[in-house]
Amino acid sequence: MAQMAAGKGATMDGQGRRKRRGRGTSLAGQRYLAAVLLLVPAVALRLFTAFYPFVHTFYLALTNYNPAFPPAQFIGFGNLKRMATDAAVTSSIAFTILFVLISTLLELVLGLAVGSLLNKPFKGRGVARAANLIPWAMPMVVCALGFRWMFDGDYGIFPDLIWRVSGLRFPWLINSWGSRAAVIITNVWKSTPFLGLVFLAALQGVPAELYEAARVDGANAWQSFRSVTLPLLLPQATTMGLFMLVWQLASFDLIYTMTGGGPGFATQVLAYNIYQAAFGGLNFGYASAISLALFAVVFVMGGLGLLLYRRVEVMF
Amino acid sequence: MPQIDVVGGEPRRSKGPGARVPRWVSKAMLYLGVLAFLAIILLPFYWILLSSITPKFKMFSIPPRYWPDEITFENYRKMAQTIPFTRYLANSFVFAFGSSVVSVALAFLASYALARVRFRGSNLVFMGFLVSIAVPQVGTLVPLFEMFRIFHLINKPIGLITLMSSLLVPFTVWILVSFVQQVPAEIEEAASIDGARLPQILWHVVVPVVKPALATMTIINFIISWNELLYPLVFATDRLTKTLSVGLVELAVDPSMGAGRPWDLMSALSVTMIIPVLILVLGFQRLIISGLTRGAVKG
Repeated sequence: MAQMAAGKGATMDGQGRRKRRGRGTSLAGQRYLAAVLLLVPAVALRLFTAFYPFVHTFYLALTNYNPAFPPAQFIGFGNLKRMATDAAVTSSIAFTILFVLISTLLELVLGLAVGSLLNKPFKGRGVARAANLIPWAMPMVVCALGFRWMFDGDYGIFPDLIWRVSGLRFPWLINSWGSRAAVIITNVWKSTPFLGLVFLAALQGVPAELYEAARVDGANAWQSFRSVTLPLLLPQATTMGLFMLVWQLASFDLIYTMTGGGPGFATQVLAYNIYQAAFGGLNFGYASAISLALFAVVFVMGGLGLLLYRRVEVMF
Repeated sequence: MPQIDVVGGEPRRSKGPGARVPRWVSKAMLYLGVLAFLAIILLPFYWILLSSITPKFKMFSIPPRYWPDEITFENYRKMAQTIPFTRYLANSFVFAFGSSVVSVALAFLASYALARVRFRGSNLVFMGFLVSIAVPQVGTLVPLFEMFRIFHLINKPIGLITLMSSLLVPFTVWILVSFVQQVPAEIEEAASIDGARLPQILWHVVVPVVKPALATMTIINFIISWNELLYPLVFATDRLTKTLSVGLVELAVDPSMGAGRPWDLMSALSVTMIIPVLILVLGFQRLIISGLTRGAVKG
């Protein structure tokens, strides 16, 4: 919407300027000056702290730079070759993608469920909607440590509850797949309410007559969800899915505080590898090379997501 | 048309006896769903709170205790003695307040330019902001660290605030553009005919109208910065700049604590960290929801 409006503004401006040109271009000039002055602080900030570091990473990745032993030496593709045979990095690329895909999928499905639930009329709906904000507002560090404590094999509440129900004890954080599942569950718990909120807002914009019409046609709850809710929310769902996909590729806090990448390197993600290589091993060159791998994953996943997004946009 | 629908609908409804469930069953299922939802949402918070007020010797019991039987604030007292709590609290506040105010101020100026000042390339700048969200924060740490070392910005609140506000700017621009677009242009035009210059129009005409939006984004950005770990972890290494999130992580990995983690101190610090954001969330629930859903629903 914002983009569209901005685009319209630009074309209108083109015509307006042409008309005005006879009387002089001072207005257009003034306008440019104003725009530049207003934009300079924010744009400069982004250029210096996002764009420049992004570009500089490509150079650093080709060096063996270590801040403790300067100067940097140019070593060509040495870091990239090393990365290809580094099991910690290759397994972490796989888990990063798995983590993001499963998390996003679960968040979309559960977010839709939460949004529809909070849209229904029931007593205490205000309280439920307020409670829904708590996971979003809690620091990820606190969530990660809290869930780690709750998943603890001896004193944790989850193994105990499962044991009470099934008589089985599962050592979540010692087992590779157990800790992978625990990390994803924590992430989904923290991020789903935000999606629920977005879907709720979208649902509130769906005219009640549509549901009424579906009901008159004899649709049951599932049918009206499938034929009314889902098609109307699909644009939001794809936008949010794309956003969460790209956003969560950079997840660091959760892994760093909850598992430290363990057991072994079962739950290591690229963001964690980068941090460890840079500030654990002071190997800035190698950390930059892993950053390039992360950029590549973001680019590919974001690109695929964007293709999917276009598909959905054409469909509706 | 409606008649045909009704006629068409009737047989379908009677087709399966299970197609339509009695009202009280669907009602009961709804409340069951609500209860399950509340339990899942509140359980972790309850568990951390419970741990923080349980005496340490009772925390490590098998099976775990589900209800408090002895309440103590000893964990909080000990936590405040183990880490420089008040110092970290002040640092966190400066960091979060500074980042939220700077990010909203810069984003407001930019979003006014993007929403109102018609110039060629405004679309491109807007897209640039959005695309820059995709650059992973962790991937830029190494070059930033080098840059900050050269400019002596490590362990400086101003350096941390610069980084954090930059991280927040794209989202804030995205949301604020849609708010500024809603301001009727006639007000500004009237002011500009009266001879007001741009800074005056911004301050006296636009700001009062979008004040709720600015407040909303300040609160949201404050919460996000308060919760931030990565930037303080890397760029704050002394007690004059470390934030509560760093203090918490340090407790969790402190080697002097032995093999067992100090869950008593960690849970106390966790609750202390949550309380300010909880107050903001419950106090400004409506504003926060409007801000968070703005970009997604309108975009």
